[in-house]
Amino acid sequence: MSDTGDYKSEIKKLVADIAEKTPEEITDDAKFSEDLGIDSMMALEIVASIEKKYKVIIPEAEIPNIRSLQNIYDLIGKLLPK
Amino acid sequence: MEGIWDINKIQEILPQRYPFLFIDRVISIDEKEGKVTCLKNFTANDYFFTGHFPGKPVVPGVIMIEAMAQASIIGYAAIKPEVASKHPTYYLGKVEAKFKRPVSVGDQLIIEVKKEKIVNNAGVVTAVAKVNGEMAVEAKIMFGVILDTQMIADGKSR
Repeated sequence: MSDTGDYKSEIKKLVADIAEKTPEEITDDAKFSEDLGIDSMMALEIVASIEKKYKVIIPEAEIPNIRSLQNIYDLIGKLLPK
Repeated sequence: MEGIWDINKIQEILPQRYPFLFIDRVISIDEKEGKVTCLKNFTANDYFFTGHFPGKPVVPGVIMIEAMAQASIIGYAAIKPEVASKHPTYYLGKVEAKFKRPVSVGDQLIIEVKKEKIVNNAGVVTAVAKVNGEMAVEAKIMFGVILDTQMIADGKSR
């Protein structure tokens, strides 16, 4: 299992790949829709990739709240075993 | 081979019809694991062989992707039967595919779809299509599901 620092850089790269950007172009607070052009289907692809990589389940009700990398870090921080 | 969904049941879920229905039978459904297995037989009577290619029939890759997308809808319906029963509109979002071998007249395509994530308005699945146990296509498919058809007319599909 990754430690905290690792999972943040891994998730950033995962989001960058799906958004077709470089990790350097994505800040933790960039808004997925407005700043990065990530639509709802790309957001679901991000969620599916994170679930697969970290073997967690992200509840469907949480998905609309995922609007930035920081939102994902916060969510994964809660879901991953301490 | 006993199918668990025959063509009549398939047509209750899939909106596609001839000449664009590419699932003949559903062989297995595992709602818990989010896995379905479907079958498609290609015959000399299939219309696209007339032009693809004259004298050398090969199933077009886009047709196999469509068959896998239709199997994905069946997978969605197994997990979200309450939404599927309302006959929503399904649309493809993104496909990443690798084609491993040609598929031709007489081949029976076995399509296995497994969910990665299914929510009410979209899905991400992995799909493989095999002939005689040999890999023909593997794909990751993302699709959207819209209940309100007016949203399509307004161009607000996402």
